[in-house]
Amino acid sequence: MASLPKRIIKETERLVSDPVPGITAEPHDDNLRYFSVTIEGPEGSPYEHGIFDLELFLPDDYPMESPKVRFLTKIYHPNIDRLGRICLDVLKTNWSPALQIRTVLLSIQALLASPNPNDPLANDVAEDWIKNETGAIATAKEWTQKYAQAKE
Amino acid sequence: MVENTDQTTQNEQERRETRERLRLLFQSLNNSGNNGNRSNDSMLLQLLSELIPEDLQNEWFDSLADKNDKGCKETFVSSLPRVSINDILKQEIIRNPEIKAAHLNCSICYCKYTDDDYPLIAQLPHCGHHFDFECISIWLSKNETCPICRDNLTSHKEVIDTSNVELEEDWGMYG
Repeated sequence: MASLPKRIIKETERLVSDPVPGITAEPHDDNLRYFSVTIEGPEGSPYEHGIFDLELFLPDDYPMESPKVRFLTKIYHPNIDRLGRICLDVLKTNWSPALQIRTVLLSIQALLASPNPNDPLANDVAEDWIKNETGAIATAKEWTQKYAQAKE
Repeated sequence: MVENTDQTTQNEQERRETRERLRLLFQSLNNSGNNGNRSNDSMLLQLLSELIPEDLQNEWFDSLADKNDKGCKETFVSSLPRVSINDILKQEIIRNPEIKAAHLNCSICYCKYTDDDYPLIAQLPHCGHHFDFECISIWLSKNETCPICRDNLTSHKEVIDTSNVELEEDWGMYG
């Protein structure tokens, strides 16, 4: 606990004091490197009105290594597989220590607004998305209704 | 009870060791396959490939690639220009006249340069972005780009290298 880098403390403070609209991120009391995250589905996307739960973990090498992020809520999206893993360049090869938790979560929100079936992680979803976009969007809306509603 | 726990830790230890041996074998076989393989090796590799889950294979591939290809040379990193807080202040004040030395911080660790009694700040050639020397050294040991603008540092290095070679040839002609 004592060895938590200053950077992580500063990022956490700012996430709480100056949150990103539509995004919450709270560290767990027993592990300050583990965050519970929620992202609101962007307006005009099939995920609108949905609230998606994610988990975010800062590995020991952070910020030399990217945060590990995963969707916990089931979501129908060509770049997110059924385990919730996300295909996003800044989480893999394009990570840079000048990025932060905040920018990564914003990128994920942007990915919800513009799915990219040409660089798929969930192959079957991407195929469906390319072949029958209207149908795929309807499924995504249906899943949002079914799985991504705010808990009481 | 106590013996049981010992047994489990020992088993775990053994599993880890076996896994590590498999990884080394797999990676070395893959490597030897690239330059003139022997049929024995490729058979063993095929066998291993069937045994090891695909995810794990990819992960091992990646770790191999990470070790071999990426990162700047240590000599390059240690030769990066070192600058003082005042040097940076003079440059930044052009963009933002309000800026004070106390505002300057490293974009990797977020620590203020002034918090350190003897700050060691490195400035990258070409793009001019600055970081704690220690922070940027760690990043560049496995990567080749500026964290802020992604400028590839090795791309500039190669240009300089070739021009040096040409110069030397000229010397030979006239010398």
